[in-house]
Amino acid sequence: MDFESYDVLVVGGGLAGIRAAIAVVEANPRLKIGMVSKVYPMRSHTVSAEGGAAAVLRPEDSYETHAFDTIKGSDYLADQDVVEAFVREAPIEVIQMEHWGCPWSRDPDGKISARPFGGMTTWRTCFAADKTGFHMLHTVFQTSLKYPQIHRHDEAFVTKLLVDNGRCEGVIAVDMRSGRFEAITAKSVILATGGLGRVYAFTTNGNICTGDGMALAYRAGVGLKDMEMVQFHPTGLPFTGILITEAVRGEGGYLINKDGERFLKRYVPNKMELGPRDIISRAMVTEFEEGRGFEGPHGKFMHLDVRHLGEAVIDRKLPFMRELGREFVGIDIVKDPIPVRPVQHYMMGGVDADISGVTPVPGLYAAGECANVGLNGGNRLGSNSLSECLVFGAAAGRAAAEYSSSAKAVGTNPVAAMLKDETARIEAGYLDKKGGEERIGTIREEMQRDMDAGAGVFRTREGLEKLTKQLGALRERFTNIKIEDSSRTFNTELTAALELDFMLEVADTITYSALAREESRGAHARRDFSERDDAKFLKHTIAFRTDEIAPRLEYRDVRITNFKPQARTY
Amino acid sequence: MSAEADSTAHVATRVYKPAMGAGWWTRKRHYFLYMVREFTALPMAAWLLWFLIEIQRSGSVRTFRPGTSTAFVIFSFICLLFALYHSITFLSLAGVIIHAKVLDRPVPPRAIVLTMFGLWFVASIVIGAVLIGFGR
Amino acid sequence: MADKRITIRAARFDPEKDKAPHLQSYDIPFSDDSMVVLDALNYIKAHVDGSLSYRWSCRMGICGSCGMTVNGTPKLTCSAFLRDYWPRPVTVAPLTNFPVVRDLVVDMEDFMQKLKSVKPWIIRKREMPLGAGEHRQTMDQIDDFRQFSQCINCMLCYAACPVYGLDNKFLGPAAIALARRYNLDSRDQGTKIRLPVLAQADGVWECSFVGECSVVCPKGVDPAKAIQQTKLDTTLRFTLPYGNRE
Repeated sequence: MDFESYDVLVVGGGLAGIRAAIAVVEANPRLKIGMVSKVYPMRSHTVSAEGGAAAVLRPEDSYETHAFDTIKGSDYLADQDVVEAFVREAPIEVIQMEHWGCPWSRDPDGKISARPFGGMTTWRTCFAADKTGFHMLHTVFQTSLKYPQIHRHDEAFVTKLLVDNGRCEGVIAVDMRSGRFEAITAKSVILATGGLGRVYAFTTNGNICTGDGMALAYRAGVGLKDMEMVQFHPTGLPFTGILITEAVRGEGGYLINKDGERFLKRYVPNKMELGPRDIISRAMVTEFEEGRGFEGPHGKFMHLDVRHLGEAVIDRKLPFMRELGREFVGIDIVKDPIPVRPVQHYMMGGVDADISGVTPVPGLYAAGECANVGLNGGNRLGSNSLSECLVFGAAAGRAAAEYSSSAKAVGTNPVAAMLKDETARIEAGYLDKKGGEERIGTIREEMQRDMDAGAGVFRTREGLEKLTKQLGALRERFTNIKIEDSSRTFNTELTAALELDFMLEVADTITYSALAREESRGAHARRDFSERDDAKFLKHTIAFRTDEIAPRLEYRDVRITNFKPQARTY
Repeated sequence: MSAEADSTAHVATRVYKPAMGAGWWTRKRHYFLYMVREFTALPMAAWLLWFLIEIQRSGSVRTFRPGTSTAFVIFSFICLLFALYHSITFLSLAGVIIHAKVLDRPVPPRAIVLTMFGLWFVASIVIGAVLIGFGR
Repeated sequence: MADKRITIRAARFDPEKDKAPHLQSYDIPFSDDSMVVLDALNYIKAHVDGSLSYRWSCRMGICGSCGMTVNGTPKLTCSAFLRDYWPRPVTVAPLTNFPVVRDLVVDMEDFMQKLKSVKPWIIRKREMPLGAGEHRQTMDQIDDFRQFSQCINCMLCYAACPVYGLDNKFLGPAAIALARRYNLDSRDQGTKIRLPVLAQADGVWECSFVGECSVVCPKGVDPAKAIQQTKLDTTLRFTLPYGNRE
């Protein structure tokens, strides 16, 4: 029996995934690389990132400051050795992107420009107008087209990781176009599947951000680390949740409450609008609760005001924001304030991986938002994640290349059996399923509303316990879903069901991890435990899958090198 | 392409190829105007042929008088309208096509279009003068 | 609040059962003035008919997934507001000029091939080492190609182009605009290398400047401009081979 076989297989075609694939080619051009993605790569959610990528490029900046900003921003949950390595690699990656054609905005002398950003003590966020993710993704994707070693499987949905004798040997995927189940074997697999925003109702994330890679690794026995750390971005448009970049505040925008007050002076008086995202989101919710938010048909909101910047600055630095305002809210940000409210945006938590993307399962690597390598800890600073994708995508690529260069070939007999089993599982459970009364959309929407309420910006024990029960009930109801699409050709109801299955699983890890962390740190804010507790919780939460719904939680100490945890004020 | 294990999925990957249909240009105003623009080549060619026939009919180029055939005059007028339509739409696009820089600053499209119309005007005067001069 | 409703007529096609696409009508609540056609499709899939298949992701007009034909015009369904059509019914069909795989999903492989064929990456005679830092580039130099770099690969331009509809071999607006983006980038030295693909009969010369591509482009890329400029550029290179940069 023949299967498509690669030296390295990348799952996910976003910034981290494509960067990893290119890194494999550069490390060893004789390796054969597969890239499987459930969408065409230019649709990956990297494309919607706006603000910029942080890197130490200026002489007045230093690795130490970038590292300290990141560690303090993480509320000291970051592994400091990882951060220190990251800040040294990020500038190299930014230059590499420039060489590949990324249209970084420039200073008058022609060098790459930088803008101020939340939590950064100096200007180090490199940007391409306010469409940085779009330009970066298109740059790496187009660059990847010149390497014949990279073979893409576009619109193939991975349903399971192949693990044999404790070693990861590939994936099983459904080719969406034909409906065929395929086993794609590889000596090593890199997960780069992005975040899980769609477990929440109000999110900046696109439809495809359903935590697939996290669930796949979880089911393969890998722990999911710090899942309770979910980032809420302060400025999303009401109703749609479309992201209004932090760069708006970086360029000088003000956040104003109903009383016309720049209320952040009572929360982060030194940094004001450039405080870290978790603190600002909490500030906004607190203001809402105390009656100082604007009321609208789509919930409470604040005003983000850039009128004082002037049309010239806005058109040069924030043209996409002007377009979004006009298109989706019917305002001109040159003349009107922007309505904004906190919105789920990024996942600090993810697949337990180290600085080279290595997971506890040999042959399995992870990079980008789906991984937690220890960089972002309890809260990520804006513009660190685009750099994160490049640095750790490249690192995982190199590590996987080295591993695959000396790894044994994959045995096909176990693969054939696994393919047969997985095909049977999905056909029985979904494609050939008869009956069922629950609609996928209904269960999904309830999960999303429950997560927004129970695992949002502020959490309580009662809220989280209620959420665990709600999720448990939804899991039950999920076994009773009806599938109306009997076609094998491009069956998006099947993929929606598989995604919901993944989402229910990772939602549980978020909830149980949050319940167990009885402190407030970074983005995880407990009303019943409002202080940070370094004595008990200067540790990572790692959730492992069990036969029951509740995961088994383990804890691992945070690695401290040069920066002792202090009180975190801005 | 990948080989796969025996799967019970028997799948048709047939696609549906839509046919364009001959009347595609009737369905949108922009397409229709485009076809009119392209169509103007036909009356121009017809006019040239008729013109040659008129010359031949009158014996020689020297004995040719355009006024002798009113049908030809009317047709010429209609073709003039077509020619003007074609020229105006074409020259209006000059600002889009021509990408010029003077002293490192891009020339605004309006300036290019106005220049083109200006040159057209001048050329028309010159050619007209020459033809009328020879006619005398 | 009055219960407003709207009718969506969506094209359905299952190659396992159907010979050709047919329209299916759905009557759904029009509950919010900010709803877009994509919201309507999502409502149908979640609450009425789970078998409706279509592509979407970012819902903010940047990923390019959700291009479909809405009442005869290629549009991104995430930015086509229902209020602009209501109370008339909205017909949603797959993008024209592409083979239909299923319902509202079209085959994109031809486009992906064409994208790759123009070599959309920085080509240099000699690579600069990373240690030398960035190539110097000014904002004015970026302005030269900025507009053509905005393409989100949504393919609305191919759907609008009657030439592509009549002759599938045409390289097409987005691919040519992307080629021009690289040709104009001051860091690139690959214009000559891209020339054969652009200057061939199925390349820029197939275009007869209908201009509809630029009309439907949701990002203002103006591919028609890129194509006509490329025609001029390739002609000048042919007639005046020494008069140009690099």
